[in-house]
Amino acid sequence: MKAEISGPTPVGANIEKSPSAFSIMWREVVRDRLALGSLIILGILLAIVYGVSLFLDQEEIVKVDFLSIYSPPSAEHWLGTDYGGRDVFGQLIIGARNSFTIGLAITLITGLIGLTIGLIAGYFGGWIDNVIMRVIDFILVLPFLMLVIVFVAIVPKYNVLTFILIMSAFLWTGKARLIRAKTLAERELDYVSASKTLGTPDWKIIIFQILPNLSSIIIVNLTLNLAGNIGIESGLTYLGFGLPESTPSLGTLVSYATNPDVLQNKWWVWLPASLLILVMMLCINFIGQALKRAADARQRLG
Amino acid sequence: MALLNIQHLKVYYPVRGGFFRRVVDHVRAVDDVSFSLNKGETYGLVGESGCGKTTTGRTIIGLIRATAGEVLFEGTDLTKLRRREFHPYRKDIQMIFQDPYSSLNPRKRVLDIVAEPLRNFERLSPHEERQKVQYVLERVGLSAESIYKYPHEFSGGQRQRIGIARALTLNPKLIIADEPVSALDVSVQAQVLNFMKEIQQEYGLTYLFISHDLGIIRHMCDRIGIMYRGRLVEEGTSEEIFTNPQHIYTKRLLSAIPNADPRERGRQEALRREVEKEYEQSYSRYFDENGRAHPLKPISPTHSVAIP
Repeated sequence: MKAEISGPTPVGANIEKSPSAFSIMWREVVRDRLALGSLIILGILLAIVYGVSLFLDQEEIVKVDFLSIYSPPSAEHWLGTDYGGRDVFGQLIIGARNSFTIGLAITLITGLIGLTIGLIAGYFGGWIDNVIMRVIDFILVLPFLMLVIVFVAIVPKYNVLTFILIMSAFLWTGKARLIRAKTLAERELDYVSASKTLGTPDWKIIIFQILPNLSSIIIVNLTLNLAGNIGIESGLTYLGFGLPESTPSLGTLVSYATNPDVLQNKWWVWLPASLLILVMMLCINFIGQALKRAADARQRLG
Repeated sequence: MALLNIQHLKVYYPVRGGFFRRVVDHVRAVDDVSFSLNKGETYGLVGESGCGKTTTGRTIIGLIRATAGEVLFEGTDLTKLRRREFHPYRKDIQMIFQDPYSSLNPRKRVLDIVAEPLRNFERLSPHEERQKVQYVLERVGLSAESIYKYPHEFSGGQRQRIGIARALTLNPKLIIADEPVSALDVSVQAQVLNFMKEIQQEYGLTYLFISHDLGIIRHMCDRIGIMYRGRLVEEGTSEEIFTNPQHIYTKRLLSAIPNADPRERGRQEALRREVEKEYEQSYSRYFDENGRAHPLKPISPTHSVAIP
């Protein structure tokens, strides 16, 4: 950190701030070539996916066309068609949009729930903590995959929104645990005791005193989780318990490869989707690693 | 009338073990401690680490629940109050923390740190608030423009001054100073202590001064209580304790004060040996069969000792 040499400044002018958590993270990402490259690639990919999907008509794309089954890439169908004669490129774009939206939504919802519950459990401790942790333990011992399959079967209107809600109901526990552990460590520090003796109510201490000190760990965890959550959607859809075929997703496209003929001879159906998943998850992970280093001063590059 | 009167204060922590995690014993962190503070005086609480002096301070301000006993502040028992009823008393009792590094939130500007009590108790416009914070900061010897800085931009001594400024903003009557200078180096210690004395005279503050450093205690305190294993073993004026120690633990503490004069070294060592010998011989006279100190007995109007 550079030394700050400054003469007496008039109050209010020239507010010299210490580097915020955000600027430290930004600096770390820029210093790391891999992370910066990942950020640029991811940005371009997302811009294309969300931009192009605006001009695509989902109804048109999922419409079956028997005249052009498994046609290879051509000028009309950039990435060919699948067994129903549906345009793979269109499915890829909309599928990527769906998968990423799902991943992001799950991450944000689980983050919010986990944060609230983890902070409450960690700050108050005692029987509140005990009750919450036992509930979390209970949810963790449930067979996640089986329950998701059951839910998928009994939910009447199964779409992106219900999928997000079902996943979020199970995935918040890990975050709650992480946040609770950090809060437990943080609340022992004297600044929390000081706030109590100064008459600050508990909810204010939690939100305005403890939460800012957890921000870096939260950002890191959410980023790394985002990659995992995109994978979860693709994985479940691949197994056949994800989204219905009328809603294109990356997992649907990859699952076509279960057919040996498609896997061997019709690469255009599954390869683009697989590559897109790979690239997106790697990019997010590389960015996440850089952020993780930023959160720990000893590992920083710059 | 005494500003603060502590009667038979006990803080026990359960030790659990055996089947069903039953309570098998208690750790007696504070074990039947009584003393009182008069307005405007400085009362020193001395003892080795782990003897319960910090626990006593934290219990008085309500950070730790008392197991039994009374903390009478201007006649009101603070231990019986509900949280909401305690609120108005927060204004009158403030605390200076031991570690100036962890007692200031690293993510907050000095303005937010010092204004925190004001925001809880007074409704001020942002302008008035800033003026008040700047006034207090100037009182503790920090420049007015430091309100926009973060704690890590200050040295340890300056940080402790910020902590003191925060405790002062509400004009409290009682300040509990929990080893306020033990984390600072010696030259800064004197600076902070003298400053605390100055503001005491200016505002008529009462201090409960918790420390293990007898030199500082002698410099600061009017009256002293010596704590050992959660109990008071001797209480008296500063003069009485330092010139006429009665309890063996007090004698041991005093003999442990290092003497900077090399010519006195021999005498100091002889004194230490003598006290050690007395300690070994007369241990059973000062402590009962469980190793607990006896209740305090007055030997003069101001001086009391724990002897049978």
